[in-house]
Amino acid sequence: MIPIKYNVRNLRVRWMTTLMTVLGTALVVWASVLAFGLTDGLNHALDVTGDKLDLIVMRKGSQDEGSSGIEQQVARQVVTLPGIARDAHGQPMCSVEFVTILTQPRRANGGTVNLIVRGMEQAGRALRPGFKLVEGRDIKPGVNEAITSKQMAARFENLDLGDKIDINKVDFTVVGYFEAEGSAAESEVWTDLRDLTNARRTPGAVSVVNLRVADEASKQAIIERLQTDQQFGLKAIGEQAYYDEQKTASIAIRIVGYFIAGFLTVGAMFGAANTMYAAVAGRAREIGTLRAIGFRRRSILFSFLLESVLLCLLGGVLGCLATMPLNGLSTGTANWATFSEITFSFRFGPAVLLQGLTLALVMGLIGGLFPALRAIRLNTATALRAQ
Amino acid sequence: MKLFKYIWRNATRNKLRSSLTILSVAFSLALMTVLYGYLAMQNVWSNEAKTHNRIVVLNKQGFSGKVPIAYVDRVRRMPGIKAAVPYSWFGGTYKDEQAPFAQFGTDAKEVFNVWNEYVIAPEQLAAWQANRQGCVVDSRFAEQRGWKIGEKIPLKGTYYQFDLQLEMVGVFKAPQPTGSLWFHWDYLEEGLKSKNALLSAGNAGAVYAKVERADAIAGLCQSIDDKFASSDNPTRTQTEAAFAQMFTDMVGNIQAYIRNIGLAVMFSLTLVAANAMAMSMRERTTEVAVLKAIGFSRGRVLNLVLGESCLIAAIGGLIGLAIGGGFLQVIHKSAPQYFPFSIGDMAGGWMLWIVGVAVGIGLVSGLVPAVRAAQLSVVNGLRRVV
Repeated sequence: MIPIKYNVRNLRVRWMTTLMTVLGTALVVWASVLAFGLTDGLNHALDVTGDKLDLIVMRKGSQDEGSSGIEQQVARQVVTLPGIARDAHGQPMCSVEFVTILTQPRRANGGTVNLIVRGMEQAGRALRPGFKLVEGRDIKPGVNEAITSKQMAARFENLDLGDKIDINKVDFTVVGYFEAEGSAAESEVWTDLRDLTNARRTPGAVSVVNLRVADEASKQAIIERLQTDQQFGLKAIGEQAYYDEQKTASIAIRIVGYFIAGFLTVGAMFGAANTMYAAVAGRAREIGTLRAIGFRRRSILFSFLLESVLLCLLGGVLGCLATMPLNGLSTGTANWATFSEITFSFRFGPAVLLQGLTLALVMGLIGGLFPALRAIRLNTATALRAQ
Repeated sequence: MKLFKYIWRNATRNKLRSSLTILSVAFSLALMTVLYGYLAMQNVWSNEAKTHNRIVVLNKQGFSGKVPIAYVDRVRRMPGIKAAVPYSWFGGTYKDEQAPFAQFGTDAKEVFNVWNEYVIAPEQLAAWQANRQGCVVDSRFAEQRGWKIGEKIPLKGTYYQFDLQLEMVGVFKAPQPTGSLWFHWDYLEEGLKSKNALLSAGNAGAVYAKVERADAIAGLCQSIDDKFASSDNPTRTQTEAAFAQMFTDMVGNIQAYIRNIGLAVMFSLTLVAANAMAMSMRERTTEVAVLKAIGFSRGRVLNLVLGESCLIAAIGGLIGLAIGGGFLQVIHKSAPQYFPFSIGDMAGGWMLWIVGVAVGIGLVSGLVPAVRAAQLSVVNGLRRVV
């Protein structure tokens, strides 16, 4: 077993080559981790949105909230169903909501895109994870006010506190910002149910009913009842399943990310191989000496592989560290299930960083394998004679 | 040019090292070719859209807003408009499929005047116009699905509370794959009225119109919007290209992301190539000293080294362009509705740019070793034992 110190010293002696290889690897790992962090952030936003006990009730055949429509009387019937969880005041945790899409300009000429506007009742707030107001105040029903998240305000024009959003020529004033643990709710603008349907000139319109059930058993009962009872004829799906289906956008980004990472890793592998070949070529006499004093081929192979892995891991760590300033940076893209904007933050969690380091490891192993094989094939006598 | 042979010999001396550098450059630039090819495709797409003088009238509030069907006639009557049709996204699901494909309710009499570059057999068009439940499908899409004339296509409404029972009576040929199906807007409307779904009835969804002359477009967009500004449903009229841009915008700042990745790749490659070049030059210190001793000028030595690094990087760049181009072609063949242009349609300046980047990487990476070689003192170089 050749001590690891030997490899560390070698890397240090050839510091210029080492530095260049490390930086090259670091850039590749950085770009890849960036792509992975983007996907992870988007998935996280959709994951935390779904609560196990929450149901979304919509019209049969609807794929998303925006395309659903329920008659008002039927929606009010849903609220009275047994098995719905109660809040501290004994009120059913059930919210009748109207969802519509507005076209709004992004800041800094980012184009005009869709955003979700949701008209809801007070009860709906408790159904979102960790809902709390962080700035301004909540809306008062009946006076056309709206609240949204800080991320949305940063991405769109007209969403600063006090700004007015035009919905069918009715002005809605932004009066507050809320947080909801980074869930998809933070990609929406909320207002009062009646104010919104009146502005849209569809008074009484209902898109969905969001509700929380008391337990698993009543969840099944409610789903059954809504589906089969002629009075309803509705579809209820778990919130988790609903948001899982919206991950199509993140799947596309993930594929692109893997594609980019794959190409770059192969490219960087050749670079690492080059460095290691040079290291082997320049150290023929050393390798000969090691063989002559009794180190086995196996330990020399291992030693060179280790050096290569060490080299690339250094780059990997550096690349991962370089993504840290971007952690939590808020960004957005289209959610193709709703054709509207979804905001989320880059997330470089342990899993993502591990993926980056794995890339570096693979680079080091494969890039170092052939040079290491060359090292152990050297004939001891010839190697000792080398300059 | 006399130097070229010498440069070539040098480049091929350590075949393993040069190949590895070339492959490294090739793989990374193949990635850049694919990324920039994607950007180029979007460009070609929007230029394509500009040539047909089409405009789109939407509700000012976006897709979910209403465009009353009466607007179609009012737009049609405006001077400068050649033809106008309703174009209503149905978004129904076919059989057990989850994701809807593109289905639009439109006007069979006029639609081929708006998309006049699309081709349909006259008897098929007549058959469609005569059949209330008939529909026509993009020929490539029909082929892909294996639909023949007479195929029954049931579509379950998602947004609309009405299911369509369609029969394919014809196919149309579009220059690029569209993946679309067209049916009678009237059929949907009657269905909605029969179901008493009055809130969603009477909605054209969007109005697509063909304008006679390109220079009239801006004025027409403005006058259409002015016309409906004070109505219950104000509109936003834009060119087809601007409308397509909206979907690109939705994805977000992909372009900035691609450019950043491109930059990282360039830096990384420069380091890899510079490293290889520096290693080569270190081994040849004595040789360079000999060259200088027999009278090679500094400039010449500089050119020798730079020439070698550029040659290696350029070869890598060309291979990368070929791999990337091949990849784009494969994507085009396998998913034409998302990637409707072949590599031939997209060829342009950006490809030269990729090769330029390769040469640039060669130049920058060779710079330090070249300057070092040029400044090498002959005596020291000759004395140095490698």
